[in-house]
Amino acid sequence: MLLQTKQLCKQFSGMYALKDINFEIAEGEIHGLVGENGAGKSTLIKILTGVYSIDNGEIYWNGERVEIHNPRQSRNIGINVIHQDRHLIPAFNGIENIYLGLEYEKKSGFAVDWAKMKKRVDEVIADLGIDIDLTLPASQLTPPQRTLIEIARGMMTECKLLILDEPTASLTDKEAEMLFETIGKLQARGTSILYVTHRMDEIFRLTDRITVFKNGQMVNTVNTKDVDKDKIISMMTDNWTSQKIDSANNFGNTMLSVKNIASRDGIVKNASFEVHAGEILGIFGLGGSGRTELLECVYGYRTKSEGSILLDGKHIENNTPANSIKNGMVLICEDRRGMALVGSLSVKQNTVLSTIDNYSKFGVVNESKEKADTLEKIDTLNIKTEGPDQTVLQLSGGNQQKVVFAKALLSNPKVLLCDEPTQAVDVMTRFEIHKLLRKKAEEGNAVVFVSSDLKEVLEVADNIQIMANGCTKELLKNDGLAAEQVLACCYAD
Amino acid sequence: MNKKINISDLFRAYGTIFAGIIIVIVFSILRPDAFFTMGNLINITRQISLLVIIALGATLVMCVDEFDLSIGALASLGGVVAAKLAVAGVPILLCFIIPVIICFLIGLINGWIVTRFKVLSFITTLAMSTILGGFTFWFTGGATVFQNIPKAFIIVGSKSILAIPLLSIIMVILTFVFWFIMRHTAFGRKLYAIGGNESASQVSGIHVKKYKNLAFALCAALAALTGVLMASRLGSAHPTGGDGLFLQSYAAVFLGRTVFKEGVPNIWGTFVGAAILGILANGLTILQVPTFMQDLLTGCIIILAVIIQKMGRGDSK
Repeated sequence: MLLQTKQLCKQFSGMYALKDINFEIAEGEIHGLVGENGAGKSTLIKILTGVYSIDNGEIYWNGERVEIHNPRQSRNIGINVIHQDRHLIPAFNGIENIYLGLEYEKKSGFAVDWAKMKKRVDEVIADLGIDIDLTLPASQLTPPQRTLIEIARGMMTECKLLILDEPTASLTDKEAEMLFETIGKLQARGTSILYVTHRMDEIFRLTDRITVFKNGQMVNTVNTKDVDKDKIISMMTDNWTSQKIDSANNFGNTMLSVKNIASRDGIVKNASFEVHAGEILGIFGLGGSGRTELLECVYGYRTKSEGSILLDGKHIENNTPANSIKNGMVLICEDRRGMALVGSLSVKQNTVLSTIDNYSKFGVVNESKEKADTLEKIDTLNIKTEGPDQTVLQLSGGNQQKVVFAKALLSNPKVLLCDEPTQAVDVMTRFEIHKLLRKKAEEGNAVVFVSSDLKEVLEVADNIQIMANGCTKELLKNDGLAAEQVLACCYAD
Repeated sequence: MNKKINISDLFRAYGTIFAGIIIVIVFSILRPDAFFTMGNLINITRQISLLVIIALGATLVMCVDEFDLSIGALASLGGVVAAKLAVAGVPILLCFIIPVIICFLIGLINGWIVTRFKVLSFITTLAMSTILGGFTFWFTGGATVFQNIPKAFIIVGSKSILAIPLLSIIMVILTFVFWFIMRHTAFGRKLYAIGGNESASQVSGIHVKKYKNLAFALCAALAALTGVLMASRLGSAHPTGGDGLFLQSYAAVFLGRTVFKEGVPNIWGTFVGAAILGILANGLTILQVPTFMQDLLTGCIIILAVIIQKMGRGDSK
């Protein structure tokens, strides 16, 4: 065995985050790790990469006992990790970021040899089949490009175990394909891979074995070919099975009509779409097609240079986020920690953030009403938290996302713009979010749903608006629609 | 959740307050006759009042994750303008109010430059500080304003009610007012939200620019008030009289961040921070420790407090 853990335990303030984990990875295998958010996957990764210390238990590497106290030690024995939160320095360009933590190449002992570094990086990138302008700072790259940079960084050193934590969370299918190809190459070289994801199809496509975590404990490790998706899901979730959501198809009035909109930065070039009461409109496009930017532009977070927006029949002149909320339109951002939540504030304070003025009389906040409404949302959305006063960052990803929804729902929106609302949330929460969106639509609201997971869009949306290069293209009715048909539209011209 | 409370956790969470208590105990033991007396304690409240008031403003600006380096210059300007107005025979109430309004507007300009042009507040307010310093020098000709200051002007700074200095009373009232604003109003909540995550606040519909501008303006107004009160206390106004308060006030805010375990700038924390600095200065003076030693000790204590707090946060490592 390449890696073995024995009776691994980790506690946070008296609660077990991991308990008695006996886990192993064989040389050259792709090992899937699944479990709901909060099951302990991230904690295990952080222990293996030296971010957390262990309270109890032992780690064996190639049969020898090792202690991993910091990320450098972890990297030195040959463990590399690619996180779901991308660890790049925004102002550094591709080469500098790829060389983070590595010894820079030197000319005659001290001057940095940029040419040599570029050559090495180019080789690695070419090997991986990645095509990115390495002279751009990370801040100007799209999320998928940043993931690819991180992957390249992982490949720079002698790597025996590569840990991929939700690597495809924001990748389009094409980019994910590229990653899978890379994973195949690495396996052929004998590198072991620990693959952590919520996406079942990837688990079944890639892995040799699957380990299931639940509530900080290891349920079992199974051979991938011996199980199916339902079996794994039942191991994760106490026999919970997914339900197909039916949709009504008689829509009401046009709730939101966007005509020929363009953003000042030129990313959105010419986009038009309509969404009606009762409808969930999916917007799908390949990475870089401007989906996120379109939503931000409609919402007023990104400056628009042209076009008109009609919200429930009302022409929106000065579209700012504050006005949008007032007019009944909310945005669930793709970047949860960066743009949706204030990490230092409590669950309660985040929940009422958009509507705080409704809770105050002469500026003084009515805290009991605020608390009551938050408790109500915690209850209806089934948010797992110690209480309304817990700091929001202490919640798991899925529960954080529910807080984002709680905040949005408190302003009684008629139009919900959702950008990757299920990114990096567990299966259960994902299902709950889908159900919530459908319920909101059935209540006579309109939902715009953006996801880079095409299967999810097909599962959720009534109609699908295709987007490419900052422009809207075909509008497809989701009626027996096949993934191939949608992709064909995206790849057209 | 069963949270075990042990002494080391408690010390980490409230280490700053413990440190303050220890300082008081040490001084009381060393000089029981001079330090721990009613007269001296009241004296301390007067000594820290100016620092507390100016630091309240600095707290607001730090809450929105910005800096205002011009508060010292604003205080100097406020004092000089008030004194000049008083000499010119303007009604005393107006002498107090006009400088505050002027500096409120200057604060809005600070905020406007920062939010409109996205200039770092560090640079903006550093430049503003220089401009104000130059202006104040020109305005006074570099001389202290002290001649012909009417008696009425120095009442607030020198008189007491029931043996409690007016300055101390003003300090307590302002501290309560700003604590209430930051803790219980939508305005305060928005400032904390902006400081915590500006983008998320924007997306959530908060007028980020407006509230940042207001934070700068209130900060400047409080700085001016401090300058006016200082002039009233001293019966004179020096063109650089408020400059010394600048570093002290940020020291108070940073100490204040360590008082509660959330680690964010907060009003009571700032009050405690300023009090610790004041008690230290007072006690060391009583012990006849030279000024340079006082500075040395104060600096060390701030660093120590911040280190202890950092160690107390986070779960592992």
